Amino acid sequence: MITAEWKPIEEMVGYLRGHKKVLLVGCATCVAECAAGGEREVETLAPLLAMAMQNDGNPIEITTATLERQCEPEFVATIADRAAAADAIVSISCGIGMQLMADTHADTPLYPGVNTTSLSIREEPGLWTSRCAACGDCVLGVTFGLCPVARCAKSLMNGPCGGTRENGMCEINEDTPCIWRLIVERATARGQVESLVEVKPPKDWSNSPAGGPKRMLREDLRS
Amino acid sequence: MDSFQPEITLLYCRQCLAQGVKPVEGRRAGEGFSARLVMLPCSSKVQLPHLMRLIEAGSDALQIAACPEKACQHLVGSNRAENRVAYGQDLLAQVGMGAERLGLEREAGLSLDDLLRMAGRRAEAVRALGPNPMKGV
Repeated sequence: MITAEWKPIEEMVGYLRGHKKVLLVGCATCVAECAAGGEREVETLAPLLAMAMQNDGNPIEITTATLERQCEPEFVATIADRAAAADAIVSISCGIGMQLMADTHADTPLYPGVNTTSLSIREEPGLWTSRCAACGDCVLGVTFGLCPVARCAKSLMNGPCGGTRENGMCEINEDTPCIWRLIVERATARGQVESLVEVKPPKDWSNSPAGGPKRMLREDLRS
Repeated sequence: MDSFQPEITLLYCRQCLAQGVKPVEGRRAGEGFSARLVMLPCSSKVQLPHLMRLIEAGSDALQIAACPEKACQHLVGSNRAENRVAYGQDLLAQVGMGAERLGLEREAGLSLDDLLRMAGRRAEAVRALGPNPMKGV
């Protein structure tokens, strides 16, 4: 899922000074799963923003909506009247949903209520950890299903780096397992550890986010 | 004499009551405060939106009565409530309302007077903050 975290409320207050009618919009998909932008978080943040703005001397009237998916035009269009009636929108969806909201209701200023942070899984209740970096050239087939791009602090293609702690954790972050240790362990368990020393062609980074904005086209799906 | 009479909302788990004590709801007057009692099937039924909406609606403070740690009928319900309260206190501090406007105590075998005393302790904790600025907004 795409994960996000609330921005500091103080930052949201800064955005909202001068506005009177605010629409707070969440998304019931990824950001709901990571407890940042679903209906529960919308209904928690709305009173908090009202209180923060009251204490700031800039009281606001705040209404709420939680869309099934804020990254789909059909859902975003359903709140056109409410967006037009507001003089500011705060979105706590991921950055994708926020931008569709801003494009669709372009007359009303939109402010982010979250920072979009990663593509992660919920590892256990209250803990989300990265699994994918959307690098555009997946290597999971040769790394035994464990991603060194997203899960190695150095995104090494030829780890381990030598800094693995004695307990198997990363030298950069003691709470993160060294992913190359796990890759070697899984390869060993399958009797294929020698495959890791094979010389492989360089990874193609041209399709990664560093290559600029992505445009994916499927002619067969276009009308 | 202090004219501020804190209005406390007391959300209590019904399992906290002593055997034979009939669950009560509604407003009760205490000394220097008033309390609105709301019975819950378990303290874990309280979610953050409930807590924040109650403060937004003008309650001067919220007190939650939860079961002792090993006595929760849902095993971890009171732990979840405690975690939510700690998170909610941090959020209330961030928006300038004061963490003291939210509290939780674990007790069992409570009478109605015990509940009111618990609300009274929350009233004293919030007295220095003064009335909820959202009151009447």
